[in-house]
Amino acid sequence: MKIWTIARNTLSSFLRDRVIILLFCGFLCIVLLMMTPLWAARAMTTVENKQVMQSTVNGMVSAIMGFVSGCGSLLAAWSAADSVATEMKSGTILAVVARPLNRWEFLAGKYLGVLLLMLIYTLSMLGLSFFLAWLGGERIQASPWILVVYPMVRYSLYAAISMLLVTFMHPVAAVGLVIVTSVVSSLLSSNYVLTSAHANVWRPFYYVFPSLGFISEDKFLALTKASLVSTSAVEHLTVLGYGLDYALVFFLLAVWSFHYRNLKRD
Amino acid sequence: MTPSPAIEFQRVTKVYQHRLGGQSIPALTEVSFSVLPGEVCAFLGPNGAGKTTSISLLMGFMYADAGEIRILGYEPGDVRAKRQIGFLPENFAFYKYLNAEKLLRFHYALGGGHAKSAGPLIADLLRQVRLEGYEKLKIGKYSRGMVQRLGIAQAILADPQLLILDEPTSGLDPAGRKEVRDLIVALKAAGKTIFLSSHILSEIEQICDRVIIIDRGRMIRAGEMNELLRTNDLVEIRADQLPASLEPTLLAWGATNVLREAHSVRIVLPVAHKRDCAELLWASGCDVLSIVPQRSSLEELFLQSVGPSGAPS
Repeated sequence: MKIWTIARNTLSSFLRDRVIILLFCGFLCIVLLMMTPLWAARAMTTVENKQVMQSTVNGMVSAIMGFVSGCGSLLAAWSAADSVATEMKSGTILAVVARPLNRWEFLAGKYLGVLLLMLIYTLSMLGLSFFLAWLGGERIQASPWILVVYPMVRYSLYAAISMLLVTFMHPVAAVGLVIVTSVVSSLLSSNYVLTSAHANVWRPFYYVFPSLGFISEDKFLALTKASLVSTSAVEHLTVLGYGLDYALVFFLLAVWSFHYRNLKRD
Repeated sequence: MTPSPAIEFQRVTKVYQHRLGGQSIPALTEVSFSVLPGEVCAFLGPNGAGKTTSISLLMGFMYADAGEIRILGYEPGDVRAKRQIGFLPENFAFYKYLNAEKLLRFHYALGGGHAKSAGPLIADLLRQVRLEGYEKLKIGKYSRGMVQRLGIAQAILADPQLLILDEPTSGLDPAGRKEVRDLIVALKAAGKTIFLSSHILSEIEQICDRVIIIDRGRMIRAGEMNELLRTNDLVEIRADQLPASLEPTLLAWGATNVLREAHSVRIVLPVAHKRDCAELLWASGCDVLSIVPQRSSLEELFLQSVGPSGAPS
């Protein structure tokens, strides 16, 4: 109940946040900008060039959704860091933590608030991807649940890492470090690094760092049945479990770090 | 049997460690005091004395480096203790996008209550702190005094046994300060324990039973207000006039102060010579206007303890 109260209040503050409102406006701009090329592609599709045009539309939607999804990761990291840092900076945390509330409950409420925001973002993203595909005269073949659950797991991981970092550093530095972690994890999972002469040096890091690409929904965004990746339930569970496991570990570390920090107006 | 203290500090030390090998700053050094249930205790000290640090330790916002703190018999930060505590932080901060009613509902829910059933209680609290009619106004549009009054309302929201108020009258006008003072008196009458810090010493003097003075992280004085303000059994006699010939006799009786004012004369002397002095004045044709046991003011005690510039004397 207390966690839910904090989560709702956190979401309420996010929905008034200028950065987040700007991001949602960006969403709208993307739709407006992409309308003409996708409509053009739809209009120019003939029986002869159908495959070529399909692939063009696929490419466009995939690229846009990759970008929007990437922005979502940034949003998850930023909102998690900001939700805690703003409370510290303004001093509102003092009156809240003075209530019969454990520190972990406060942090869990903040985390749940971030996840609620990301759920709204993900659902908007889902709607956007279906809408863009429809504009291009195509249909998304992947199940909607995949396009919701995969990004949510990834965002929960980004939010947990960011929440851990912000318990002992400035929010901007925390988000910066999350971006660095994301880039490093991508580099570590690249074939070039894993097959290089120093592969043995990098391999342990590859296993320790969360492989964020692994829990990406991008691979399911293929628009034609022919290229649709078929994945078994066990594979889904393994991948999602992997992401959730990392998120849980980072969140527990955040709780531990937050428990021991001094709470005062920054 | 003495009841167990509501607040207990035992040789509490807190040092602010600066990161990257910077200088360490001792905020509190072996501070010990206790506050009994039902007492109104003033926690005084100049800026930077360690008052807010002590309150932060008490509330569990920080951890002491040494010593022991108990609050209502529990460790600071214990949820069981926090259920019985109302807290007003210094410069109460708020969610600007909420209005007073929503903020109080939010705090009520955090206390474990059902926000929907809090309507009558919240309306009553807002009336008590003179915020009725402003329930729907965003707190971001409140004046400093209104915010402070709202902070007081949230502190007493859960009918706590112990109130910890950090500068409760900060930002309030004289009428607002009087209302807070009356509220504290009413809470005291209801048996609540109140621990408050303030710079307005005249108010503290009127409402507090106990005083604790700290400076530079060390405790300077602590005790019951009456004990600390009693000034060696002196009495102040005010007369309409004083013939110069009587002055040597008064000085021989140990008068510490003979002050001629515009329409009267103020004589401060040991209470043992109160009757002698009064009779002498009457015998000499003077009119005795008042005889009052002399107490030093809290301000005098405070300045005597920490010095005019905050340095201990």
